[in-house]
Amino acid sequence: MIKKILIANRGEIAHRIIKACRELNIISAAIYSEADKTALHVRRADEAFLIGPPPASDSYLNKEKIIKLAKEIGADAIHPGYGFLSENSEFIKMVEDSGLIFIGPSSTSAMMMGEKTSARRLMKENNVPIVPGTTEPIYTVNEGKKIAEEIGYPVMLKAAAGGGGKGMRKISSGDEFESSFSQARNESLKAFGSNEVYLEKFIENPKHIEVQIFADKYGNYVHLFERECSVQRRHQKVIEEAPSISVDDSTRNKITRAAVKAAKACNYFNAGTIEFLMDNDKNFYFLEMNTRLQVEHPVTEMITGLDIVKLQIKIASGEKLSIRQEDIKIHGHAVECRIYAEDVDNNFAPSTGKITHHRLTSGPGIRIDRGIDVMSEVPIYYDPMLAKVIAWGIDREEALARMKRALSEYQIGGVITNIPAFNWMLKQKSFLDGSFDINFLDKEFLPLLPGKWKDSSSEEYEEIAAVLGAILKEGELQTTISQNKVGHCNLWKGQNYE
Amino acid sequence: MSEYVVSINQRKYSIQLLGNNEIIVNSKKINVHVSKVSDYSFLFHLGNKVFEITTNKIDQNRFGLLIDGWYYDTIVRTTLQETVNELQQIKSKTKHHSDVKAPMPGLLLKLIKQIGDEVKLGEPILLLEAMKMENELRSPSSGRIKNIFYKEGQSVEKDSIILTIE
Repeated sequence: MIKKILIANRGEIAHRIIKACRELNIISAAIYSEADKTALHVRRADEAFLIGPPPASDSYLNKEKIIKLAKEIGADAIHPGYGFLSENSEFIKMVEDSGLIFIGPSSTSAMMMGEKTSARRLMKENNVPIVPGTTEPIYTVNEGKKIAEEIGYPVMLKAAAGGGGKGMRKISSGDEFESSFSQARNESLKAFGSNEVYLEKFIENPKHIEVQIFADKYGNYVHLFERECSVQRRHQKVIEEAPSISVDDSTRNKITRAAVKAAKACNYFNAGTIEFLMDNDKNFYFLEMNTRLQVEHPVTEMITGLDIVKLQIKIASGEKLSIRQEDIKIHGHAVECRIYAEDVDNNFAPSTGKITHHRLTSGPGIRIDRGIDVMSEVPIYYDPMLAKVIAWGIDREEALARMKRALSEYQIGGVITNIPAFNWMLKQKSFLDGSFDINFLDKEFLPLLPGKWKDSSSEEYEEIAAVLGAILKEGELQTTISQNKVGHCNLWKGQNYE
Repeated sequence: MSEYVVSINQRKYSIQLLGNNEIIVNSKKINVHVSKVSDYSFLFHLGNKVFEITTNKIDQNRFGLLIDGWYYDTIVRTTLQETVNELQQIKSKTKHHSDVKAPMPGLLLKLIKQIGDEVKLGEPILLLEAMKMENELRSPSSGRIKNIFYKEGQSVEKDSIILTIE
């Protein structure tokens, strides 16, 4: 029985895990860095423990300290969330050796899938299709260039230990190889503690389709269908959906079978995701397995009605899968938009600061998973994702209509967010008809920056913004005057403009 | 009556506040009623239409406004301030050097070019790390690097000048 869980993460996912703990009557213990003293996950947890200075390497990535703390506070289990230590097989092994439960797969499965080149070998052996390329890491520029020429440019360099777009570079010609190689290696070293990279053939205009799988410790496997995650920028997903508009029943049948086969190949248990690239002809290739909870898990929860985080905890504590494949059905359609603190028109510069105002959106079919509240700090040390807005509808059209409505109601003050950009994305023809691929934003959105993506409804609002700006400025000036004149009564201040 | 020039997305609006809810926007007269909901939220009535606007004061002259999912960075100047600002802009355009500013707060990871180096337009000059990603900054003009104000490993604030090219 798990009675207390240490959550080795921050932000919205730590908050999400706390909610699952509450529903299961499990005590949640948060950890936080000095930059996160008043973060939402700290406010919402039952217990909270300072783990170290702001840089992640000294706090959320400090393996020894986290395990030692878990033992000291009497936790039974550690939930790693996503990112940070979630896919670090060395950490998982340390947790296992300490006698604590790791809420996720075994260190062996994580290792088999975490090292991307050995995962590719394993998939090849198990007849799961892989993208052509190396199944061994590359150590020198010359070696890499030689292989790149063999498989033909363009190629992708990827971190062998990686995921989430870090340590990843597309290379179009031999001239670019050297600088991309060192950048990818540096990024990989910083993000994952390893500078091993490998090469893959670059698949033109694919879709990113992934399958959520679930397994218990007794060899029972199910899949929870696919997610469509093709709307990406710099390999970071921006919009996710379930199911995919481009996956027909026959493809769904094939891709979910391949995913279960991949999971079985590494004796997987707990929640996992198999990512595939799918080309125009609906051929799909294994990309990697994420041996953890995914950011976009809510869209799957919305269409299946299952609570993935609670299932994770139950399976970790030794329960059998309580659901059978034939009982899992797709109901309706769900979309997720990731809200990042970034200034889209200013080259997506991260926007840091304090959240001065925060009003959630709600209403039919809407769910928000968030890491922020009023007075939260958005520090530069971590990922700029603030929240996820998830919309469910009986079909895609309704889900998208609800999403647009919800985003227009969501008020965040103090930092600049990417919310306006969704006004554009959610009404593009290629997005609506399903013909979009992973280059959608690069090809269709980036050329419109800065500003040219805004439409006529934005222009009407712009005039209103100009008027309110002038009124606010007038208020500022009046305030200054009234502060200088003792006893002067300013009727405008804080009230109406008449 | 007071008059302001509001700049949004490189467009300029002339706004005259006449009093009695009357406002002239670029010579068009409108009727507006504004009520304050909180320090960060205003209700804006334009005829029968109503808009809820989230406001964020960036400084005395600058407000970030969020309306119905759209964001506006508004810079508001009195007509006098606007004239001064325009004169300053003309002055800075005639100078022959350009500044390379940090587009985001981050860590100066690597200086690819050093003081005295020749750079070409679009050539990578430095690497800036922000939120765990490496960003390559490219030269905004061709010339020679005159000054570098930061060392590798130092953190830089948004909009701070990292180096100048002449």
